[in-house]
Amino acid sequence: MSDLLDQAESRARREEGTHLLVRAGEYSCALPLALVRRVVRALTVHPLPGAAGELEGLAEFGGEPLPVLNLARLVSSPPGANPSYPVTVVVWVGPPEARETIGLSADAALEVVHVPAGSMVAGDGGFVQGEAPVGGEVVRVLNLEALGNEA
Amino acid sequence: MDAESTLAAVIPGVPMAPGREGRHTENALVGWILVVGLTLVGYLLLALGSSAGGPSWPRHVFLGLGAAGVISYGFWVFPYFRRLELRLPVGRERWSRLETELITAFEQLGAGDLVRSIEHTRGLPERLAKVSDAASAALSHLAQQIQDSSIEVASAADAVNEIASELASGSSEQAASVVEITAAMEELARTASMIAENASRQAELASRAEASGDAGSASVFEAVTGVEEVQKRISAIASRADGLGTRSKEIYRVLDLITEIAQETHILSLNAAIEAAAAGADGRRFSVVADEVRHLAQRSQESVESVRNLLDEFSSSIRATIVATEEGSKEASRVLERSRAASIAIEDLRRASGDTSRVAQQISLATQQQNSASDEVVMTLREVSLVVQRMTGGLKNLSSTADRLNTLGLEIQLLAQSFHLDSPRSLKHLVESWARQLEKVPGVTEKEAALEELVRHAPFVELGYLMGLDGSTLVLSFNRDLLDERQRSLAAEVRKTDVRTRPWFKAVSRHWRTTLIPPYESMQNSEACFTVCTPLLNPDGSVAAVLGIDINVTGWTRI
Repeated sequence: MSDLLDQAESRARREEGTHLLVRAGEYSCALPLALVRRVVRALTVHPLPGAAGELEGLAEFGGEPLPVLNLARLVSSPPGANPSYPVTVVVWVGPPEARETIGLSADAALEVVHVPAGSMVAGDGGFVQGEAPVGGEVVRVLNLEALGNEA
Repeated sequence: MDAESTLAAVIPGVPMAPGREGRHTENALVGWILVVGLTLVGYLLLALGSSAGGPSWPRHVFLGLGAAGVISYGFWVFPYFRRLELRLPVGRERWSRLETELITAFEQLGAGDLVRSIEHTRGLPERLAKVSDAASAALSHLAQQIQDSSIEVASAADAVNEIASELASGSSEQAASVVEITAAMEELARTASMIAENASRQAELASRAEASGDAGSASVFEAVTGVEEVQKRISAIASRADGLGTRSKEIYRVLDLITEIAQETHILSLNAAIEAAAAGADGRRFSVVADEVRHLAQRSQESVESVRNLLDEFSSSIRATIVATEEGSKEASRVLERSRAASIAIEDLRRASGDTSRVAQQISLATQQQNSASDEVVMTLREVSLVVQRMTGGLKNLSSTADRLNTLGLEIQLLAQSFHLDSPRSLKHLVESWARQLEKVPGVTEKEAALEELVRHAPFVELGYLMGLDGSTLVLSFNRDLLDERQRSLAAEVRKTDVRTRPWFKAVSRHWRTTLIPPYESMQNSEACFTVCTPLLNPDGSVAAVLGIDINVTGWTRI
């Protein structure tokens, strides 16, 4: 596990600026590709009693339970059209010293894009790191490490 | 036998001749002298004969006979004539009285007064009175019969006139009706000709319609067959479209599978890109492949979307086709149903056209026969019209003849009424009886009331009046059933007139005898009337007034 985290950190440093573009409601969000572990079809989520609004429940991934959060709710996006092929993006979150694997349910996984650091406008400094134009569309660049802190 | 000998035979004691009165004794004496003279002459002649040698006895015989004759004449003939001469003045006086009665009776008879003529014959000898009464009675009876007959003739003439007038009026109406019927029949004949012509055309049109109905029926049958075939083909198209729909669903399932594969491939390419990024520099080639795979998946997905869109359009077209075929099938069913109904209707129409054609032909024949019959009726009606016109003319002649007959009856009645008969129908008798009744009534007012009552019971009297000798009107009594208010007011104008100028007054005042005035124009209604008037006497026999009654000639038959 620690190896994988190390590899992720090193990859994060290498792949700085490369993001996975996903659709969450009406927003497009860019997830740092270095912290993305896997993209799978929407997993079957088992809701947890008394869970918060963003937490959809627990899913099974690789033989282990995986908490799944609703990305659209995380970025406060209005609900979009009924997705034709929803996905669950398995990511590492939290600071490098305490990373965890969670699932983010999104409406679609679009593509891998490069977001230049200079083009990004600073966001709230939290989970939404900032906004940047990608392919003529403004996307929200997410900070998964900050999500780990909030979680 | 001359009249004188007849009178002498009827009236005993009537002298032979008025010119020989007072000479009977002288004549008898002359006769006795002649007998004596003749006896002496005969004796002398016989004496001369005996002196010449003849016998003497004839002389003595003749002398004896002569003496006997003279003596007998002196004893018997002379006294007879003497007595006759003594009776002569009495007989002459009686004869003069009888002559006066007879003359008066004949004068009354000549005046038409059969009642008074009989009264004047009562002094005549029995046989003469009987003969005179019998003659007067026969004349009276004859006059009454003439009166009755004239009334009956006039009444019959009135009835004939009325009937003739009604018949003439009816004939005129009949003639007018015949003319109208003739015109109507001529119009009917013309109409019948038009009907026959139209019926022929209708029969022809109906025959054509029947033929057209046959053709139409065949066409509709073909149309029904064609529509049935179209319906079958539409059903086949619908079945095939349904099959295409089923196939489209399968294609959709395949497309879903392809889409899913493309999504999986896309996710796989993303994971490959993630892994390539994790591999660092070693994974860059792999990231290129992953990117190509992702592009390929994306293109596949786009192609699938294109195919899906096309398939959507295709499915939509198929659904539209199915709907259209269903509607077409329904429409074909409706068309088929209507075509079958039209076929039945055309068949009915064809049969009806056939029936119409036959009926129209029958109508044409019937109207042609009716036309011929109408022509005959028109000819007959024209003949009837001529007959009716002639009959109308004849009835008008009959009416005028009846009028003349009525006038003639009136004239006869007036002639008969010129006799004073002892009959209630004799106007002179009536007026005189009224006069006798009024003479007994004392005052003018009472006379007026009495005359009013008398007029009221005489329905044929239009007006009764009592006029003074100075021409003034004393009493006027109207018959309210015959005169209306206006006519009564006009009659009252008589009071302002001096009636002495009226012809009836002049006539009655000529002899103061009951008189009948021929018809003249009445003052009250300007209609013809005749008057009967008689003097009204005072107790001393002098004339006090004149009583008159007016009788309208239109109502005289009520007498």
